[in-house]
Amino acid sequence: MPAIPSGTVEQTGGAAPLLLGPRGPFPRAQLQGVLERRWLHYAFLGRHGDYGMVANIAWLGSPPHHAAARPRNTAILLLHRGGEWCATQYSAEYTSPAWSAFRQPHPFDEPRRLVIRAPAGVAVDLNLSRTSRPCTSQCAPFAEGHHLRWQSETGVVARGRWSFGGDTADDVEAIGYHERVRGYWGWPELGGWVFGFANSVESDAEGRPDTAVVFTLIQPERPAGATTGSVMLWRRGRMRRHFPRRNITVAVRGCMNRNRVTPVPWLASLLSVDPAGRVPQRLAIAARSGADRLLIDFHCSSAARVVVPSETSIQPFSVHEVIGPVSVSGNVGGQAIAFETRGIVEFAGGAHGD
Amino acid sequence: MEIDSAARLFVATVDEIATRAPAISAAAARELHGIRLGLHFGDGTRAGLRSENSFLFASPENIETPDVEVFFDDRSLNLLYDLEHTPVSEVWERSLDVRGERPQVLAAWRTFRLLSQRASGLRAVQILWRDYRDRTHSTWSAPPADAMTFAANPLTPRDTGWSALDFLDHVQPDEIEAMPRLAAPTIVERARMLWDGHRSSAWTDATPISDSDLDATLTACKRAVADEMQRLIPDREPKAELYDLMRSYPMREGKGLRPMLTIATCGALGGRSIDAVRTAAAIELFHNGFLVHDDISDGSTHRRSKPTLHEAFGVGLAVNTGDGMNLLAIDAILSNLSKLGLARTLGLIHEIMHMCRETVEGQAIELGWIRDCIVPPHDEDYFVMSTKKTGWYTCISPCRLGAVCAGETSPELLDRFNEAFRLIGIAFQIQDDVLNLVGDESLYGKEQAGDLLEGKRTVMLIHAMREADPKLRARLTEILRLPRGEKSTSDTAEILTAMQRLGSIDYAIKLADDLAHQGVHRFEEDLRFLPENESKGALRQIANYVTTRRL
Repeated sequence: MPAIPSGTVEQTGGAAPLLLGPRGPFPRAQLQGVLERRWLHYAFLGRHGDYGMVANIAWLGSPPHHAAARPRNTAILLLHRGGEWCATQYSAEYTSPAWSAFRQPHPFDEPRRLVIRAPAGVAVDLNLSRTSRPCTSQCAPFAEGHHLRWQSETGVVARGRWSFGGDTADDVEAIGYHERVRGYWGWPELGGWVFGFANSVESDAEGRPDTAVVFTLIQPERPAGATTGSVMLWRRGRMRRHFPRRNITVAVRGCMNRNRVTPVPWLASLLSVDPAGRVPQRLAIAARSGADRLLIDFHCSSAARVVVPSETSIQPFSVHEVIGPVSVSGNVGGQAIAFETRGIVEFAGGAHGD
Repeated sequence: MEIDSAARLFVATVDEIATRAPAISAAAARELHGIRLGLHFGDGTRAGLRSENSFLFASPENIETPDVEVFFDDRSLNLLYDLEHTPVSEVWERSLDVRGERPQVLAAWRTFRLLSQRASGLRAVQILWRDYRDRTHSTWSAPPADAMTFAANPLTPRDTGWSALDFLDHVQPDEIEAMPRLAAPTIVERARMLWDGHRSSAWTDATPISDSDLDATLTACKRAVADEMQRLIPDREPKAELYDLMRSYPMREGKGLRPMLTIATCGALGGRSIDAVRTAAAIELFHNGFLVHDDISDGSTHRRSKPTLHEAFGVGLAVNTGDGMNLLAIDAILSNLSKLGLARTLGLIHEIMHMCRETVEGQAIELGWIRDCIVPPHDEDYFVMSTKKTGWYTCISPCRLGAVCAGETSPELLDRFNEAFRLIGIAFQIQDDVLNLVGDESLYGKEQAGDLLEGKRTVMLIHAMREADPKLRARLTEILRLPRGEKSTSDTAEILTAMQRLGSIDYAIKLADDLAHQGVHRFEEDLRFLPENESKGALRQIANYVTTRRL
């Protein structure tokens, strides 16, 4: 087990002035101000059983009067099993630099390690393997100068140990999704999002899923028309189709039994944060482009409500990590698509109420 | 009643709504306000609908000389409870015909709007109509040949041919489940669009729900709390003399109002219902402990249609079992610590202490009246005693405790529950007292006229003593002085006859109705801060239940 320095921060470049602005969509430039953020996000579902894992490592810029200070760093890990969730606080430790194919490109057949753990015992010790290529970066601009930019890589295979705070499961094989995010946003300005993925169960010898989908819907309150979204389809490791926002429709029905929504981290529950909105029971996304059709039908069965303090408002922002069965069907490029699997969807929002 | 015709379906629907959503039924009755409707259906059957106070009466017979006549053909009838189509955009000319004086036609229209649109989401109503459609194989009739169709509703989502909304509403709609589950939706909602390619609506902006299925929610809450009580009672010796007695007593289930008030208030404030179940079970344990002791004090012989505990096992064991239940209740509250945290658990203890203090004070006042053979002169004296003795632990405290389970401990906010549920609690208690005199014992569960035997100071007794002439008052006082065991059936019959002659029972029914309506008004005013959701809808049904209870 390598030593894990608590709250280690990846070096993000020197203090040289950025005369030509940041280089590329995900620059190595220092985070500026409290609303500038950088994330690495991981979400996996066990190939067998109902294991699920979501982790987020975040860096947040410093306040202006603390310009010399290092960015704040938080990490949280959520594990799901049998309809129950356990989680670390925001102070989980992780191996540094945290695994990512974006900053540390490496071949598909070269597993690399990621450990995230908390003193209380909730932890994962994983070997992560890439099987697919990422999508191009996506960007949602909104409000005045706010933006959220992200890039997804699906078909990531994770093998290793999951510790639930009391007992441990070894040799768990899971498949999932990795994402990097960079942007500048306040939670009330961002509004909310619906984000999710699903990998088909069928895979080749390398563990690469036959089909994978990633979908997004980001709904800022202003300006009018700022809503953006997409559905992306991968076949055998390569992205085959991108349905842009005008070509998708998103609908929900019913609401989840609130008893199946677990607030995390535990501190949020003890401090009695304000209730969030009702999580839908069902989500359908229909995408159409020319002759191509895709339909994603997701049933919410278990959710963890991650309470995120808002830097600029009283209401907390809530990210609901929802696990449930999903069916994907359609026809793309003349090929029929139909599979049923489990997926993870995020219903996020709630900071705009004050 | 077999539902083999449109008229019977309509009557069954009105009855279902009255049982499951008294708030909707009462509101519809108020809109109808004495107007009598004659209903004609496409299958040739007829029905009548009228109101009396807060009650709706539907019958599968024609009403002679109705104020308003309404004709539904099969299509317009189906639209009444169709979640998938908006009636306004679907009804054709001559498919629905309403005739009568203009104000009365408008009142009828408002009544149907409440009965159909507000109640259409009730899961039980949806099941009723789905089964009828399946059984009769009725399909929508074709539009009349010369029908004038209405312009398309601009608010109706466009038909895209490949739309997520169409998929959820038409291609694969949800199955409607009949089984009630704790905090599971009892209202079926239409799908809603978050993004149609041009317009956006946040997933958090769900349409507020203002009603709930009272019957299903009561059943689910009662079952969850009964199970929790069984878990709380230890499985160890001495069983025959203690724990088995505790275990059997709660199984004599009541209506389940308290568990529902606690769980629904927690849900209304955004809490999880499972976080309130243990507290609701603790209240029930306190309640059962109080009842065991109360039955001894009153010398009651029956409770929930069975012999009281002291009648069956003796006073000593009964007192001890009551003490044990109170002890278990405290233990249950304390065991919330690991789940709800320190702040909420302390808040619960504070509320429980207050509830117990009010209850024993109320009991003391009433026992003092009986010992000293006093019948208080004013209804207000009864209100104070009743609120202390039963109002707090039956209505007010369950709500406050549910709010604390959701994390709300602000005294100002908790106090907002007091007045509405004080009024509702008094109304409920008066109705219970009336039922004790005139209700069916098998349904009511207590020995009939038991209150007269024990000399309970009810509103009826207070009214009778107030209205009686000096001679009758002296005679009634003489009977009241007799210990329970020395009162004969003719003594209680004499009191009952006096009450009937003096109009005391009618007075009590009217008083309870007034208090219930005041309670509903305060509920809507004082609890406006609660967001409209299904749990608040359940509380609303409870508040209105008292206005529509059939005595």
